[in-house]
Amino acid sequence: MRMFNILRPGDCILAMAALIILLTAAGCNNDPSATSSAAGKNTDKERPAFLQIGEFAVNRISPERTEVRDGAGRTLVLIPREAPMPTDCAPSQVVRVPVRRVAAYGAFDVAVLRALGVLEQTLVGVTTPKERWHVPDVKRGMESGRIAFLGDAASIDYERLKQSEPELVLTWDPSIIPLMDDLHIPVAVTTTPQAMCLNARMRFVQFLAPFFHKEPEADAFFARIDAALRDIRARTAGATRQPKVMWGDIYEKRVMVEPGNAWVGELVGLAQSNYQFEDVFGTSCIEITVERFLYSGQDADIFFTYRSRDMGATSKAALARLNPLIKDIAPLKNGRAYAPLPHYSQSADKLDEILTEISAILHPEFYPDYQLHYFAELPDVDPVAVKEKSHDHI
Amino acid sequence: MKTVSARLWNRLSSINLTVALCLLLTMDLVWGYFCLNRRTALFTPLNDLGLIPWAQTYGSHNLLATGWFFLLLTLLALLAVNTFACTTSRVAQLLRAKGPGGWQRLALRLAPHVMHYGLIVILAGYLCSYLFTQVLTSSTLAPGSHLSLPGAGGQVQLLAVEPEYYQGERLAFWKNEVIALRARLLLSDNTGQREAFLSCNRPVRFQGYSLHLIDFAPKSLNGMKMKTRIDLHVRKDPGVALYLAGMALFSLGLILYFYQWIVHREAHR
Repeated sequence: MRMFNILRPGDCILAMAALIILLTAAGCNNDPSATSSAAGKNTDKERPAFLQIGEFAVNRISPERTEVRDGAGRTLVLIPREAPMPTDCAPSQVVRVPVRRVAAYGAFDVAVLRALGVLEQTLVGVTTPKERWHVPDVKRGMESGRIAFLGDAASIDYERLKQSEPELVLTWDPSIIPLMDDLHIPVAVTTTPQAMCLNARMRFVQFLAPFFHKEPEADAFFARIDAALRDIRARTAGATRQPKVMWGDIYEKRVMVEPGNAWVGELVGLAQSNYQFEDVFGTSCIEITVERFLYSGQDADIFFTYRSRDMGATSKAALARLNPLIKDIAPLKNGRAYAPLPHYSQSADKLDEILTEISAILHPEFYPDYQLHYFAELPDVDPVAVKEKSHDHI
Repeated sequence: MKTVSARLWNRLSSINLTVALCLLLTMDLVWGYFCLNRRTALFTPLNDLGLIPWAQTYGSHNLLATGWFFLLLTLLALLAVNTFACTTSRVAQLLRAKGPGGWQRLALRLAPHVMHYGLIVILAGYLCSYLFTQVLTSSTLAPGSHLSLPGAGGQVQLLAVEPEYYQGERLAFWKNEVIALRARLLLSDNTGQREAFLSCNRPVRFQGYSLHLIDFAPKSLNGMKMKTRIDLHVRKDPGVALYLAGMALFSLGLILYFYQWIVHREAHR
C-alpha cells in the first residue's frame, strides 16, 4: 500500500500514456496470419505488402521488387526478367521472375510447384531417381529427358546441374550455396532450423508463389487447406475421447520424432487428440532419448512410424522385430500403428486430403467408411507370417 | 515561481516516476514473455534486419504480438530520461554543496551516479546497435570457398573445420556428436594475410567487421551424411564501442562505490 501511496497521479499518467497509446495501436491492427479465411479472396491490391510464413517472409517493396527471406535467413531479391540488375545487393541474391527453369532437391518443393501449377513448365532437375517418383508429371518429364536426375542430394553432379541451366535451385542443403554462387545460380533454402508449424506448412506455397507470379493459385491452395482444417475442427469438436498419438521411430540407437511445434503436433491437438511429444521443441525429425520415447509409448493409442513398407514397416510384429525396444509400447500391443504409403512424402500438394486422413485416423467415428490413401494401418503380424503359421498347423 | 521547464524537469526526475516505470516494465515483460514464447520466429529477424526495417515489416504487421516490444522501447527510453534527470539533479546538488573533503570525497560520493550514467550509455549502445548495424546474413562457406566483405576489399576463406566430438560414456545419446567446433579462416586484405580461428563464442574481428558462427554441418559422425559448411553472420556494429564505454563507466562507478563503502566502514569502527 505504501508503495502506491508514493505514486503521484501526474507521474502515473505520464507513464500510463505510452502504455495506452501502444495498446490502442495494437488493437487497431490485425495479425494477417489470423485472418486466414479471407486469404483465398485476396486480389493483388488486397494482398498484404508483407507476409510472414513461419521463418520465411515475403516483402513486396514495389511492383518491380519483392524481397523474400528464405529458410536460412538469406534475403533474395525478386525482379522482373527484363529489369536492370540492382546495385544494392549481390548478384547471387537476385532472382529474375517469373522463374522458367528450376531444380528442386526435395519432394516437398516439387509438390509445391505442382500445387502452383508450374511443375511441368519449370522443373528441370531433381535429386531422386525416376523409379522412386510417384508423381506422374515428374515421371513423364524424366522419361522425356526434360527433367534430369542430378544425382543423390549428398553427391550432386554439378556438371549435370549446370547443363540443366536452372534459374533457381530449391534446396534444404545450404552447403551448395558457395558453389552455386560461383555458377551464378540463385539458391532458395526451403527448410528451416525449427520445424514448420501448421500455418507455415499451409502457407509455404505463398512463399514460392512470387517466384512464378502465381499468387492467386497460392491463395486458392491456401483457402482449400483452410477449408479442410475448418471441416476437421467442426467434425471433431464433439469428440468425447481424445486419443494419444506418437509420431516417430527408432533407428538403431537413435530415436527421431516430430516435435510438438511441428505441423503434425498442432494438427493432432486441433483434431481433439493429445500429442505425446507436445513438449518437445525443435527441428522436424528431432532426436530424443529412448527412455522418453518408451515412456510416451506406455499409454499412447496411435503410433505413426516414419518407416514405409519398403523400409520394413509391414506389421506391428515387423516393427517389433526391427526394434525389440519398442515391442512393449501400447500402440503395438493393443493400439493402432500406421505407416506412410510410398507416395505420401510426394503429396504435399494434397495437404488438405492428408490432414483429413490424419483426422479420420484419429477419430474414425466421425469419418464412417473412410478409405485410407496416404497411410496404411499395420496388421498385428505380416500376412505371410499368418500364412506360414496356418500352414504349420496343417 | 517555477517555469514550465523546471516543473517538467522535476516531474521527469521524480523517483515516483521510476517506481511507476519499473512496475510497467515488469508487466510489459510478462506480456513479452508469452509473445516471445509463442511467436519466436517473429523476433529472430530483429538480430539481422535492424530495428527500423523490422518495425516496418514484422513489427507493424503483427502488433498484437510485437506491441510489448515497442512499449518496452518507450518505457526504456522514459527510464533513461528519468535516470538522466534524476542523476543530473543529484550531481548538481553534490557539486553545489561540495563540503569538506575536497575532490576525492566528491568523487566517491558521485560513485552511484557514475553507474547510472554508465547504464544510460549502455542502453544508448544497444539502441545504436539495433539502429545502425549492418549485417550480412547467413553467409555460407564450404572448405576452400571465400567471402568478400562489402566495401572493405577484404576476403575471408575457410581453410578447414575442426570439430570436437563427444567421446564420453555418461551421455550415450551424445556419443559422436559435435560438442565444439573451430573453423580455421584465412583473412586477406591489401596489407597481407593472417589465419584466425572462429568458434561459437569467439567471433573473429576483421576490417571493422565481426564474423559470428551461426550454424555448421555436419553435427554428428552418425546419421545423415552432410557436406561440411559453416554459416556466418558478418556484422558491422557501431554500438559495441558505446556499450563497452558504458560498461567501463559502470565499472568505474562500482569500484568507487566499493572503495567508498570500505572507507566508510573503516571510519565507523
